[in-house]
Amino acid sequence: MSDASAPPILEVRDLGVHYGERHALHDVSFAVGRGELIAVIGPNGAGKSTMFKAICGLVNHDGVVEVNGVHCHDHTDRMDLAYIPQRNDSDLHFPITVGELVLAGRRRFRRWYQRPTVADRAAAEAALARVQLGGAGDRALTELSGGQLQRAYVARALAQEASVVLLDESLSGVDQPSTLELLDVFESLAAQGTTLLVATHDLALARRRFTRCLAVNGTLRADGPPATVLTTEALDSTFGSADGSRGFRALAD
Amino acid sequence: MHWLTDPFQADFMQRAFIAAIIIGVVAPVVGTWVVLRRMANLGDAMSHGTLAGVGIAYAAGINVLFGAMGAGLVLAFLLLAFSGNRRLGQETVITVLGTAFFALGVVVISRLDTGVELTHFLFGRVLTVQWSDIWLNLALGGATVLIVMLMFGELRLATFDHVQAEQVGVHVELVQAVLVMLLAVVVVISLRAVGTVMTVTMLVTPAATARLIARNLRQMTLWGVAFGVGEGVVGLMLAYHLSSAPGATIGLVAAAVFAIVFVLTLPRRMPHHHRPLD
Repeated sequence: MSDASAPPILEVRDLGVHYGERHALHDVSFAVGRGELIAVIGPNGAGKSTMFKAICGLVNHDGVVEVNGVHCHDHTDRMDLAYIPQRNDSDLHFPITVGELVLAGRRRFRRWYQRPTVADRAAAEAALARVQLGGAGDRALTELSGGQLQRAYVARALAQEASVVLLDESLSGVDQPSTLELLDVFESLAAQGTTLLVATHDLALARRRFTRCLAVNGTLRADGPPATVLTTEALDSTFGSADGSRGFRALAD
Repeated sequence: MHWLTDPFQADFMQRAFIAAIIIGVVAPVVGTWVVLRRMANLGDAMSHGTLAGVGIAYAAGINVLFGAMGAGLVLAFLLLAFSGNRRLGQETVITVLGTAFFALGVVVISRLDTGVELTHFLFGRVLTVQWSDIWLNLALGGATVLIVMLMFGELRLATFDHVQAEQVGVHVELVQAVLVMLLAVVVVISLRAVGTVMTVTMLVTPAATARLIARNLRQMTLWGVAFGVGEGVVGLMLAYHLSSAPGATIGLVAAAVFAIVFVLTLPRRMPHHHRPLD
């Protein structure tokens, strides 16, 4: 789906994040095109979530983030990005329905005092239908399975009309059938032009179902198609010593 | 039947009922967000801390409601300024500031030689509410409810997922600041009727009870108001017949209703109740 000649939808240059003296991330540069489905891999604590948060402007960072060619200064420049945090960051008992969750994505199109319009509600329902959750708008979040919840969050990103969706560990803790359903949804969205970056530990899925891999550990260790990133050399660089990465290589095979 | 109508005969009781109804509406409207944002500790600090302004205003011969409002705003500003301290944590800063302001109020009032008793401010004197208090409370309460209604969507977004809220253009810190200010207003409204100690009860307990049965935010707010008004009226009637302290009686009724609803809704909160769609 990605067109190499088209300008990038998201460009990151020399991205760095440091907490005091500690560098969580440094010198990360890459560009992604419309409709790419990208797996972001790396061990725990490698900086995958930090990279997503920096791209979204949720943590202070060095370097440049450009969305649609526009240099991002604050959140208003980043409304074309949607960030879906790790599952345990959400309060599922909050009294909000699935429909209201998805409708939240429409906030970028109105002022703070304006209520959602009929068109907003139609867009939210359409977004739910695109992730196979049509008719679930009145359900409470606690009534959804793990996979359905992730799809509801994706629907919110669709309602937001985000060009780029950053999903942090969305496949973790989701059973196999739900994982496959989610991946079908990701592929369908990518085919329609949405760019998705998915942080994942599942290297086998990264090899089979994604078009590109970014290997991160403190910085960008490798970037390219799965066949070129999921190699012994790149995995050793990303996950540590040869011994430490053996298990990951086995998974990626 | 007289048991029900007698309390409404006297003029001072009519004013007391109106004051309780205003609090019953306004406190849960704000309290809904206090409960959802797990800010009960902040509400407690705010309600106690306003005693500093009450004491100073009383000593200076100014309307104590203005003193309470001043202290509430100063406290709100300090809490917002210092609650980001990562080394101490928000709860610690809230407790330190709240107790400091409360202590200041107690010291000032205890040194006054005007016959005023500390307990009047701590537990309120709803039977001494004047029409001027009611008009002021109506104006402040009306403005508070209006602001919450206007900001309902922003409050929901900022409370449920502040990260995404920022992503789509919500000014999360501004929403938090406005909510803390509204908290100060609720404390002022509740001061004369239920006092600084019981204010947090009206702020938290009806909304917490509503939280147990509501499916969505609108329901939670409306149930909170229903509980707040009902508990205020019933509490006052009981206080009239039992000759007990009105503020504390209202607080006990609210706690009893919470306990009953908690028990009745236990089966609903059992783990097996939540089933996925497929």
